Parts: sequence; C-alpha cells; structure tokens
Amino acid sequence: MSRHLIAITLLPVLAAAQLLDPAKLLSPPTDTWPTYNGDYSGERFSTLNQINAGNLDDLALNWMYRTNIGALRGIGNVQIKSTPLEVNGILYFTIPDHVWAVDARTGEELWHYDWVDHGGHLVGQRGVGMYGNWLYFLGPDGWFISLNAKDGSERWRVQVADSKLQYFTTMAPLVIRNHVIIGVGGDAMDVPGYLEARDPETGALEWRWNTEPGVGEPGAETWPNPGAMEHGGGMTWMPGTYDPELNLLYWGTGNPNPVYAGQGRKGSNLWTCSIVALNPDTGKLVWYFQASPHDTHDWDDVETPILIDGEFRGVRRKMLAQAARNGYFFLLDRTNGENLVSAPYTGANWAKGIDSNGQPIPDPSKEPQPNGALLNIAALGGTNWYPPSFDPETNLFYVNATRGYSLAYLTDTEDKPEGYGGGGRSLWVQSMLEAIDYQSGEVRWRHEFPGKGVNGAGILTTAGKLLFTGDPSGNLIAFDPRTGRLLWHFHLQAPVSNGPMTYYLNGREYLVVGAGDTLYAFSLLDMKRAAR
Amino acid sequence: MTKQHCQVAAFLVLVALPITAGQQGTSDARSERGRQFLGLGPAADPVAAERGRQLFTENCAFCHGANATGAEGPDLVRSTIVLHDEKGETIAPVVLKGRPDKGMPSFASLTSAQVYDLAEFLHQRVEQAANRFGYQMQNVITGNPKAGQAFFNGAGHCTGCHSPAGDLAHVASKFEPPDLQAQFLYPSERAPEARKKNSLTPRVIIQLPSGETASGALKRIDDFEVSIWDALGSYRSWPRDEVKVQIEDPLAAHRELLSKYTDADMHNILAYLETLK
Repeated sequence: MSRHLIAITLLPVLAAAQLLDPAKLLSPPTDTWPTYNGDYSGERFSTLNQINAGNLDDLALNWMYRTNIGALRGIGNVQIKSTPLEVNGILYFTIPDHVWAVDARTGEELWHYDWVDHGGHLVGQRGVGMYGNWLYFLGPDGWFISLNAKDGSERWRVQVADSKLQYFTTMAPLVIRNHVIIGVGGDAMDVPGYLEARDPETGALEWRWNTEPGVGEPGAETWPNPGAMEHGGGMTWMPGTYDPELNLLYWGTGNPNPVYAGQGRKGSNLWTCSIVALNPDTGKLVWYFQASPHDTHDWDDVETPILIDGEFRGVRRKMLAQAARNGYFFLLDRTNGENLVSAPYTGANWAKGIDSNGQPIPDPSKEPQPNGALLNIAALGGTNWYPPSFDPETNLFYVNATRGYSLAYLTDTEDKPEGYGGGGRSLWVQSMLEAIDYQSGEVRWRHEFPGKGVNGAGILTTAGKLLFTGDPSGNLIAFDPRTGRLLWHFHLQAPVSNGPMTYYLNGREYLVVGAGDTLYAFSLLDMKRAAR
Repeated sequence: MTKQHCQVAAFLVLVALPITAGQQGTSDARSERGRQFLGLGPAADPVAAERGRQLFTENCAFCHGANATGAEGPDLVRSTIVLHDEKGETIAPVVLKGRPDKGMPSFASLTSAQVYDLAEFLHQRVEQAANRFGYQMQNVITGNPKAGQAFFNGAGHCTGCHSPAGDLAHVASKFEPPDLQAQFLYPSERAPEARKKNSLTPRVIIQLPSGETASGALKRIDDFEVSIWDALGSYRSWPRDEVKVQIEDPLAAHRELLSKYTDADMHNILAYLETLK
C-alpha cells in the first residue's frame, strides 16, 4: 500500500477518534460526558444503572491518576475542581494552568498541556469545553486557549481579560452550537463583570453582555452614580445552563463590588447576584431574577441554575431551580423568570423577608459592621460553586450545604470604599447534604456529616437509584436518594473536590471523581472478572 | 474611641484563601501570601512610598484626592495605567507630560527618583485596596461592659464554666479584640498538632461489643469510623457500626448561645471581657 493511501485511510479514522458529535450535547450523558454538567440541563443525573443500589458490594477502585504537579502559587495543595469531559474513551480534565487527556478505561496519560501564567488567581479551574476536535481552556490570567484534542497542541490563544486589573479566569467554557460561552472572575479591584460568546474556529468575539447596565440604560437606576456602576463587579465565573427549545442561556452572576462595603453603591445593583436569561446568538438579556439585591456578603449567585421539566401545583412547567449561596432555594419559571418558590434551606437572618417578586430583602443591621454583625449562616454562605444535582426519579434537588454562624466586618468606612472593604469570619460550621422538594422548597431529608470542615464535593444522581457525593472527612459515599440512607463508601486520600461523573465504555459503567490531586475511577468488580 | 489597628486575623483568609488553621503566621506573612494569591507582584518599598505620599499630597491630591481615589481628577487606585505599571515606567510619561486635553498639567520638574516614589505610593494604595489579607480592622469594642457583665452572670450562664478571676483572668491581654470576639463566640484551637492535649477537643466514650468501654480525646469521626487518643496517648480506632459512641463536646454551650445573642449582647460581652486586662 502506498504512503498516500495509508494517509487517506487513517486520517478520517483519527479525526473521528477525537471528534465530539454535537448531538451528544442534546441528550442525557451515557457513553459521553460532553460538557461540564454532562448536558445542558445542569441536572447531573445519569440514566446509567449498571452500578446500582443492588450491586454496591461489587463497586471497587479500577484506576487512579495522580497529577504530581506540586504546590500552586498562593494556594498550596492541588484540588481537582474540574468535571472531566469524556468523549470517545478519553477524559479531559484540568487544574489551574494544566490540562490532561487520559484513557477513560485505564487512566493512562495521553498528553498534558502546561500553561505558564503571568498572574491571575489559581483558586480553581472547572474544566474544558469541546467543539468537534477542539478543546477550549481558560488560563488563570485571562487567556482563552484552544487545543487540539488529539495531542494537546495549541491552536491559538486570545486574551479575554486583563489580569493586571485583577480579573482571573477559571470557568469551563460552554459550547452552544457554534458559540463558545466564557465568563470571568475577579473581585479584588472593583472591575465590571461580563459574559462573552466567541467563535470556536478563531476565538474572535461574537458578543459581550455586561453584568452592569450602561449610563441611561434600564437598570442604571439601581446604582447611585456611573462610577459605582462601572466598578460594580458581578462576575460570571461558573458555567450556566441552556434550553435548546427556548434558545435561552441561563447564567448566574457574582457579587457586586466593593464586596463587603456597600455604602458607595446604594441600590439593588443590577445585574449582580442575579440569574439572567440571555439569547445565546445575540447576548441580549431576556429576563432576570435578582437573588441578592445589594449583596454585601460575597455571596455570588453563580451556583448552577438547574433546569427542571415537571409538575408545579398540578401543571407541567419549564422551570429553573437554584440553591443560592445566600441560603435561599429559588424556583423560577424559566420561560419568563416568574418566581415560584423562595425558601431558606439554611439560616438567612441577613434578610428581613421576601418582596413581591420573591427576592429577599436585605436587613441593613446585618450588613458588615466595623464591630461585626452576627449572622446565622457560614461566612462562605449556605453553599458555593460545587455542583448540585436534580434527580427526576425522586423529584428532589440535592445540595451540599452548611449551617453555621459567622461575623461580617466592614473595614473600609470611607464614602467611596474600594476592593473588598471588609470580610467574613466563620465561627461554627456544620456540613450537610440536603434533599429539597422543588415544589415547596422544603427539606425532605438532611444528612449532617459528623466530620469537621466545609464540604466542597459535588453531587451525581443516577438511574441506579444512587446519589454519589463526598464528605468533609475524605469519603466518597453512595446515598439512597429517596431516604438519605448511606449505602456504600470508599475512603480517598483527600475529600472529594469536584463533581462526580459517570460514563459507559466497553460494556462497563465507570464512576470518576476528583479528590485533591488525584482522579479515581470505580467500576463493578464482577464486570472486571468477566472481562478477563 | 481611637481606631484599633490590629490586623484582621483569620477571617479574611477564610473568605477565599484555602489556607488551614495553624498556617496563619504573622500579619506580614499573611499579606505576602495574599500578594502571591492575587498575583500582585512585589510589595511597594515603604520608605519610597512614604516619600511618594508627601509628593502626592503636595502635587496631586488636590485633583486626585488625598487617598488617590479620585476627586476632580480620576481615581488612580483603579487606574489601568497604574495597575500596569511596575516601577514608574507607565506612570512617568503621564506625570512628566501631563494630559493637556483632559486638563492635567505637566509636572516636568519632578526627577525620575521622585516619579518612582510617587509610583511606589500608588502601588501601596493599590495593595491597601486589593490585598484583603492585610486589611486593618477598625474598633470592635463598642458595647456596654456593665450590660455584658450582666449577661455573663445571668442569661448567658457563663459562670457555670468560667470565672473572671480564674480562667478568664487577663484574657483581654492574650487576644487582639477581634480575636477575643471570635474566641468567646466559638473558641477555636489554631494549632492542630496540639489537639491531643487541647481542652477544646471533644471527649469520646466508646462502648465496645464486649461491654468494655474506652475513652479519650476525639481524633476523627465520620459516618463510618471513629478514632481517639486514649489516656496513655495511644491511637485507637473502630468502625462505627461495631461500637456505641458518646461524645462530650466542651463547646456545646457556646454553640447553643450562638442562636441566642443579639448583636448588642455580643458587643456588650466583648466590652466586658476587655475589662479583664
């Protein structure tokens, strides 16, 4: 056979080996986990059931992959916070500055991409996005990078944020048709937030939606002056969700700036700490719901807005649910943003109640004070970025939450404060897993973890009638999602630090979880015996 | 009352920087870690920054405000030019030539050393805003000590465990006021290696299947395992489903009180404890 012929025969095969079929993004994740949340809904529910409540005695460690990078600048120990993608038998996952491809069946490293940053915060990295053969990754210092999934080689890079202004970039890009949606982080220097769509082939800007209005635009009346509005924060640092039927992109925005010092930005500060619905083709705002009007506690509202199709008071509706960092569970009609449920799932004495739109009303006496305000919620809030899950078989929304007490301090009492301007100090904190009835916001069951510390584990539910998550003591645990009963556990070298994910490959279901610097893969033992 | 200039202790670290208790170190070390985390580069030279502050007051403050946060002229702490500058190289052209189109005169008489000093002052101001790990707390002692004493002796039932002449003697000289506030609300031991001998560690009584009991200081408990350091300092552990575990938490009363304090109670108690110098 001539060399020419070999090339012709091999090329399409090689191309197909890495290629992500766009249709995979529109169906529940089974043999493919093609995006941060597995699919556009954000449910993190898998229809796989090979691993199920009846065979957990056979669930065992199959392989491990340790990153071996050493301490990260300003952070210390590595924590894998990304949810790996799984496409055609290859896992793609990240930590700040690093991307890996490993064999999803064996954990063998295929390639490693090492970005040398010139600034930015290394607080986290949520993963990559994928379009065809191409991966999309954000370096911490504002660089948007495209890699060839085949070998990890760099195709191009474009700068999307200025790290000298204290922007940093940690999110997993979200691919919607031929748009790559990326957001930014950064709340140390009072910069404005924005969300962008970029061209998957070139990285060129398609649209930018600013999290603050311009002077004279609707929403500007929620700021006291243009200066406060132009430095108002509202970062977009977590991947959103998407409804292909409505063609609406749902995104959570971060806290306003200055973070703890609100005296220079009186008003509700739109569109910070909000859930917004945007047209992904134009970036135009369709509706918004503000979870924390005039936030002064660093409670970004970026927690996954999960899309639920189901009953609400006897009527089938298209809904969106979020367990917000401010301690409230929200249920909205996602066609128009109408509030259906607002209910605290933990202490929320920072709010005096709910207004007619379902938005909490902040209590000024619980805003940060120079001598401290005592709050009945942890300083980091009731939850944080770690992925929640919705199980359509139990109709319950699951979140790793905390209850606790904290102090909120104001350190900058100037008329025009800058930066954080204060801080929070946690006192006592209790980690707990909560199962919330989405129709009422009531907590159906709650499991308090006996160990100390805040639990940063994400959640996966499956048709195997299982809920997988971690505890603060380093256990990976399988719960009965209906009752909260503990069914199985495995002690890891560090607490679970990402959202567990699952995929079906070569006749076997794998469960993959990141804990500290290591990725762990589990499968059924008898399947392993059968394969030999 | 005068401003207290004690450093913010652990609390800012908890907001975003995942450094565990026991790694706190000095306030300078915290600021330095904060700079690394934020990618702020080296700290400004404080001597040059002080010279720069005087130059700024004489030449710049009239338009840019005493703290450089803006007045008639723009805010320089949030200025892109300042944030991109390292040693005066991007600031110098603006200072020396001015911005006639925007009404800023030139300051051509300033030497390059003086421009450097000005730049160091502005970098110091940037750090004071951006580096939350070095923020200065204001006064936290605002309550009424008599009311705090009444709560201590009455509604708080604090005298069951504590006495101002006994364990709390001189407590105000052992902690900075914000730390004392956090410590009385919910005491914490910041050195994990001392946990074995720490009076704050819960005591555990383990009932074994044989009927025997074991007891000691709690090392670790989760849903599946429990472990202790016993009276001899030996490590012992059991699966939770084989033993009965009884925990005596010395901090239980502190936890119960957290839901009962008003903010005024909290400030009054701190004011009272601050009298125990």
